[in-house]
Amino acid sequence: MGRPVAIIGVGQTKHGRRTEISYPDLVREAVVRVFEDTRLTPADIDGVVSGTMPSMMEGIALTHFYFADAMQAAGKPILKTETCGSTGISIAHTAYYWIASGMADLILAVGHEKMNEGNSQATMTTVVEPFYQRYFIAGAPGVFSMQSQMWAARYGIPEEKIRDAAAYISVAHHDDAFDNPYAHVKLRVTMDDVKNSRLITYPVRLLDVCPNSDGACAVIFASAEMARKLGRKAAWVKGVGYRGEEYFFGDSDKGVWQSAVQAAKQAYDQAGIRDPRKELDVAEVYNPFTFQEMLFYECFGFCGLGEAPDLVLKGVFARNGELPCDPSGGTLCTNPIGATGLIRTAEAALQVTGRAGDHQIPGAKLALCHAMGGVDQFNGVMILGAEP
Amino acid sequence: MTKRVGIVSVAQGAGAESKDNFYDQAYRITKEVLEKVGITRDDLGTIVTASSDIFHGGISCANSYYWETTGAFLKNASRQDGESLFAFFYAVMRILSGQFDTALVMALCKGSENPPNDTCTLMFADPFYQRPVGLQETLAAALQMRLYLERYGITEEQCAEVAVKNLGNALGNPYAHRKGRYTVEEILGSERLADPLTALQVAPKSEGMVAVLLASEEKARALTDKPVWFKGYGSSLDHFYLGDRDLLKGPLRDAAARAYRMAGIADPQKEIDLAEITEPYAFQELLWCEDLGLCGEGEGGKLIASGRTRRNGDLPVNPSGGVLANNPYVSRGLQRLVEAVLQIRGEAGERQVPKEVKTALAHGTHGFAGQCHAVAIVGIG
Repeated sequence: MGRPVAIIGVGQTKHGRRTEISYPDLVREAVVRVFEDTRLTPADIDGVVSGTMPSMMEGIALTHFYFADAMQAAGKPILKTETCGSTGISIAHTAYYWIASGMADLILAVGHEKMNEGNSQATMTTVVEPFYQRYFIAGAPGVFSMQSQMWAARYGIPEEKIRDAAAYISVAHHDDAFDNPYAHVKLRVTMDDVKNSRLITYPVRLLDVCPNSDGACAVIFASAEMARKLGRKAAWVKGVGYRGEEYFFGDSDKGVWQSAVQAAKQAYDQAGIRDPRKELDVAEVYNPFTFQEMLFYECFGFCGLGEAPDLVLKGVFARNGELPCDPSGGTLCTNPIGATGLIRTAEAALQVTGRAGDHQIPGAKLALCHAMGGVDQFNGVMILGAEP
Repeated sequence: MTKRVGIVSVAQGAGAESKDNFYDQAYRITKEVLEKVGITRDDLGTIVTASSDIFHGGISCANSYYWETTGAFLKNASRQDGESLFAFFYAVMRILSGQFDTALVMALCKGSENPPNDTCTLMFADPFYQRPVGLQETLAAALQMRLYLERYGITEEQCAEVAVKNLGNALGNPYAHRKGRYTVEEILGSERLADPLTALQVAPKSEGMVAVLLASEEKARALTDKPVWFKGYGSSLDHFYLGDRDLLKGPLRDAAARAYRMAGIADPQKEIDLAEITEPYAFQELLWCEDLGLCGEGEGGKLIASGRTRRNGDLPVNPSGGVLANNPYVSRGLQRLVEAVLQIRGEAGERQVPKEVKTALAHGTHGFAGQCHAVAIVGIG
């Protein structure tokens, strides 16, 4: 690891269907909040990192131009990081490296998406290779459903058990979202509601899938000297890991997803984590699909391969369980994609600084945050701790 | 900045339209840049690429598409959008963090599979006020040029001289897309695209696979006898709406000041031996030279008239032919850096400048009338 880096403040929009506000003003809402949170001013910032999903989803290309003013970035050094769905965590990584390199002390990271003004599923279909694979894909659920089936078949997990475990996750996260003032979808649902909801792409049903959200997130990263000078309670970056795989999704095993396994391992090695389920206090896993969330538990070493459904049904990953996952309601309840990975980072920072309010995990000291993207290709992880 | 980062290898593909597919073009350049210093993909620490989805043949998430082609399979890699010098800087940051000892920077853009540049740049405009009136990069540049001519009394002939110089320089550059001996009259007599801009003063749409391999100081010395060192970098972003900006006092001044400060450069006119500048519109070379402090404010016309910026002048600017000769939109900033490195190493072939080059400047810009700029300083010693 380079020199120590801290997160000293976060700002989120109220995520949802924000038809009353323009896209730049949505960005501005998150940026204003991070300045309120830190009591810093734009003049204090050494550089800005921004990012989003592809231009087709936005209807605007190279969004750092349009949002220069909303991000308070005019006159500032700028970087624009984009890695598809994992953009949010990649923005966080960029801000981290900028400070770790010694070339900045205060970096503003901004992720944003106004999905209700575009067509997210049409856009994601254009990510897939146009000649051979695109015909088999309908937006994001297509590829992730195939991955879930591959995983379930691999370990011979009975269909009913995996269905119950996914429904359990959906119910829990939709409940959790009520305690998160920024969450988009807040619904009281039962296991039966989930299991009987509309089929999207087998086995994924409507309540197994995230919404299209409008939202933005802003996070300020600081060097150790700056964090101390400002006297801010900080979340410290303990590890960063990222891996990407090949474009043709039939070419590798997605049941034991190597990019997820190795991204987590890289971050754990830096953070000195050997037994993640014991050592981590909370995880914000990027979980747009309930089934896939279980696969991540296994790839991140929270449990053995094929064990996740049993442990989910025992409540191991619930709010009051051994390793609470996505107490914010997660991506399942809120998904403004370009912001989502950074929201995971912001939520993890809130948890380890004891500022997560009604969804605080008591005494959380070490947290994992994560994002995933591409054609089942990319995984990025960051570990945040309460101590430097 | 106590540690140093070295550029150990560079490679670039030709700019002219090619029937080779994207993967073949990109793979060849990846392989070439690694083989030049005798390493393989397995030895590579990290990869940062630059590409933009709007300039990526209708496929979204460009880096998904080419990920493994750039050697990134199961590696920690990332991507920058819009400006390839961003990717260079991010890769420098990754090495300086101490986590990686080598970093591959690549810019990927296949112009022949994209619509006309300004069909793409129209999508930079806000969708409600400016896009309906058709504002795009060439129209914004024409407004900027008109202001430049009027405020400082620069002439259209002086602007055309830039195209004469750069398209002529390109004759010595095997990678250049557009080249030729032109007269000022021919440049001014070409089709008027957006008054006062004529077709030969506007950059083409080119292919551009460009690679730069970076290494930590120790690793750089192990890999090559001729490392070129990262000296400084700066970037800056302007306000969005053209009406909110002074188009002749843009953010390049800030970006340059930051790069010079980091590189310890007090007098750029004396200390910069050569500049490779992104000038998608001929007059912009003059304006950017002013902003970079290579001449005084309003003196861009005098600078080109003096002949100092010719290939054999004392301050060569764009001996490669610049972006007027080769315009792979996203890749052009990194391509400027590659040309700067080749000149410092004395490996620029026919386009090698006759003077000694120890410190060189590479500049990239994108957006309406230069809304965003990046400046990198590299050198030996």
